[in-house]
Amino acid sequence: MSRLAIDLDMSKCVSCGACAIACMDQNDIELDAGKGPFRCVFDMEEREGFSHLSLACMHCVDAPCIVGCPSACIHKDPETNLTVFDTTNCIGCHSCAMACPYGVPSFGPDGKMVKCDGCYVRVHHGLLPACVKVCPTKALRLIDLDAPAEIPPEHSLRQRSLALLERQV
Amino acid sequence: MDDLNALLKAKIPCPQTGIEVKHTVCAICSPAYNCGIDAYVKDGKLLKVEGMDSHPRSKGGLCTKGLANREFVYRSDRILTPLKRVGERGEGKFCPITWEEAYTEIAQKLLAIRAQDGPDAVAFFGGYNKWYRPWLRRFAHSFGTYNYGTESSTCMTAGWMAWKVAAGQLARPDMAHCDLYLGWAFNPYYSGYLNAQAAEKRKAEGVKFIVVDPRITPTTEKLADLHLRPRPGTDGALALCIGNTLIQRGWIDREFIQQHVHGFAEYAEYAKDFNETNVEALTGVPYSQVLQACEMIRDSKAMAIQENSAPIPHHKNGLQNYRAIMALSALTGNFDRVGGQVPAHHSFTHQIAGFETREEEWQDATAPAHQKPAVGEERFPLWFHTEREMQVVDLARQINEGTPYPVKAIFGMGVNFRMLPQDGELVKAIKKLDFFVNTDLFLTDTCKLADIVLPVCSSLERGELETYPGGWAWFTKPAIKRVGESRSDVEIIRDLAQRMELGDRELEAGYEANVDFMLSNLGLTVAELKQSEVPVKVDFTPYQPGTRRREGLPTATGKFELYSEMIASHPQWGLDPLPTYCPPLDDADEKEYPYALCSGGRLPNALHSRLHKVPWLRSLRPDPTAEISLEDAQALEISDGDGIELYTARGSISVKAHPSRRVQPGVVFFYHGYSQADVNALMSDQHVDPYSGFPAYNATRCGMRKKVEQ
Repeated sequence: MSRLAIDLDMSKCVSCGACAIACMDQNDIELDAGKGPFRCVFDMEEREGFSHLSLACMHCVDAPCIVGCPSACIHKDPETNLTVFDTTNCIGCHSCAMACPYGVPSFGPDGKMVKCDGCYVRVHHGLLPACVKVCPTKALRLIDLDAPAEIPPEHSLRQRSLALLERQV
Repeated sequence: MDDLNALLKAKIPCPQTGIEVKHTVCAICSPAYNCGIDAYVKDGKLLKVEGMDSHPRSKGGLCTKGLANREFVYRSDRILTPLKRVGERGEGKFCPITWEEAYTEIAQKLLAIRAQDGPDAVAFFGGYNKWYRPWLRRFAHSFGTYNYGTESSTCMTAGWMAWKVAAGQLARPDMAHCDLYLGWAFNPYYSGYLNAQAAEKRKAEGVKFIVVDPRITPTTEKLADLHLRPRPGTDGALALCIGNTLIQRGWIDREFIQQHVHGFAEYAEYAKDFNETNVEALTGVPYSQVLQACEMIRDSKAMAIQENSAPIPHHKNGLQNYRAIMALSALTGNFDRVGGQVPAHHSFTHQIAGFETREEEWQDATAPAHQKPAVGEERFPLWFHTEREMQVVDLARQINEGTPYPVKAIFGMGVNFRMLPQDGELVKAIKKLDFFVNTDLFLTDTCKLADIVLPVCSSLERGELETYPGGWAWFTKPAIKRVGESRSDVEIIRDLAQRMELGDRELEAGYEANVDFMLSNLGLTVAELKQSEVPVKVDFTPYQPGTRRREGLPTATGKFELYSEMIASHPQWGLDPLPTYCPPLDDADEKEYPYALCSGGRLPNALHSRLHKVPWLRSLRPDPTAEISLEDAQALEISDGDGIELYTARGSISVKAHPSRRVQPGVVFFYHGYSQADVNALMSDQHVDPYSGFPAYNATRCGMRKKVEQ
């Protein structure tokens, strides 16, 4: 079993939105029906300089949403360790969203949780997650947590946010 | 293992799901790209798109826009059948008719107008994309008129004209071999990710980048070693000052100039007026930065210049500004050399693949005797001299005024009136016509003005020739079932040429036979190309940089003309042979209209107007939003997301405001093509470039006020 996750090289992102469109195409997101993509981009202006972000489920190693869900809807995919779900029993209680440090889980018109599943079925078949496949600047990567880091820690969204969370705890 | 439902949901291409991956091409943006698509298809229906890994140029890439091809192709306003107007023009009331009925009526009407008023009373007007243009041009010629024109009347062509004026043919920056890249209006992250990837690779290899852009963009953030920020439209003054500084300091290539440049002394004399005393006042760029740029040019072994054919020419002095930028390549001896500007030509439909085809010969084989002036020819004589087609910017005026002769019908293919400045004039003109046909994928606002509307298909629904830099050719195959009864643009031209009995047997022979002719000099046939599912390498001898230096340029003097003999030999045109400069703004009252409205700068999720109604793309930026400076926002007490009005003497539009440090004080950036906030309605059909006819979309005076909530 590999331990995979999706990470962003923040120095390469330009907030172009290609990842969000690929996510919508892959997941048949009907905006008219009140749905949205599982990945969102942010083009932010700060006091000094500008930041670009693409954000979706971080596929945490110890994912708090899994523990937070009273209906056991969320689990780790045995092959990839991506955080996946089956919401047949979802009661729409939003516990997962409250447990998630990034506020990732969202809820469709039927009240059930939806989020990025890392396109784990594609990964099973040797394909990349849709967003990673299309990223024009190669900022998004499917990373193997047990392999040497491809993204320098200072540019890695995953490393930066983990460091931030640790400081808060 | 995943069950069938999981496989279907994840769209896994495999025998169990019945999903196949078919190669096709994206034609949403310029044919300079035409990136390969892997289309996930089941039962003829598109399920998903992805970049095509086996494509030699796009190599699996696809941008924000191209990734929305599924929603683009299946947009809810796709036209399904030919339509005939039943209500008033513009009301949008149509009834479906058969193709036979449509063709019969079009043929009858156009031939009747030709019989009564002559062939020039019909204008053949093509929009975007460009894939059918040689056919539409020949169709117009075979009908008997030079009144063929396109969307390129306001995009791209002015840049090529500048090259024809100075060097006799266009030239492209050799990014792969330069050590300094002067990216003038260069933001490939929004307009062409392949260029961004190439630039990042070269940056990592040590290439220096000077980026000239009024805005702070991802490109200035990530690539620029030096960012020059002129005010919109002052590019010419900045380029002349760079040229003058290089001359004054002796940082020029005297040997190249002596042998290969015409008009250096006149240019040097003229450029003297752009110097340390006035460049900051003229352009906003401090002289210290000009000097820094010149030092980088001095220290470079090979400088390639990216001039951008939309933003630079969209000014009153656009073509001249473009020439002033190009002049830097000649002054420094970077023209026609490895790592500099390399002469090039279009292979096919504005694609620059490296090899020549017989496209031009084919498209002009039935050119008629030139009798009446083409639309716009008298007002923009340089345009007609180099392009031999109508300048559409003058079409509305000619129809409304009837001078020098009336135009009574438009045969349009994908026409969008919003491409023009003060575009209400064209709407008014269309309403006066005897007959207006338009083809499109979508029932656009322009289609709603037509008497007959014909549905065309997308690039995924047809087969076509593509050529790519590096010497590739590809004949695509339809990847999905056509939507409704749509046909390809070229099929429609062929069918009409047959019905109208124009006597053009080749046009009647159809696309593949025509492409066979165009490729005949390469010894290639469509049948051979069709045997491959992917682009194939064409056997040809690539251009060797330096050949033009040796053999002479295709100009009157055989040299790079800083002083244009083409212009000098036509004093009646009243144009300057040197790349002279004039300030960019119109003469509207400065107090009433204190801002420079700069429209058309790219967004990653939009192209012209064609993607505004694609919901996924629109969701990335739902509201038409103007970017303004923090200073102007503060002065007018405008906060992010506030409603504002932008206005000129022609009208006003209501948009959202986004104050940002990316924008200089005094400048308002706004994207074009929105139905509910049509910025081109604010532009002037008089504030245009007399050299090219291009509208001054990037520097027009406007007013701005905060919208008061009622």
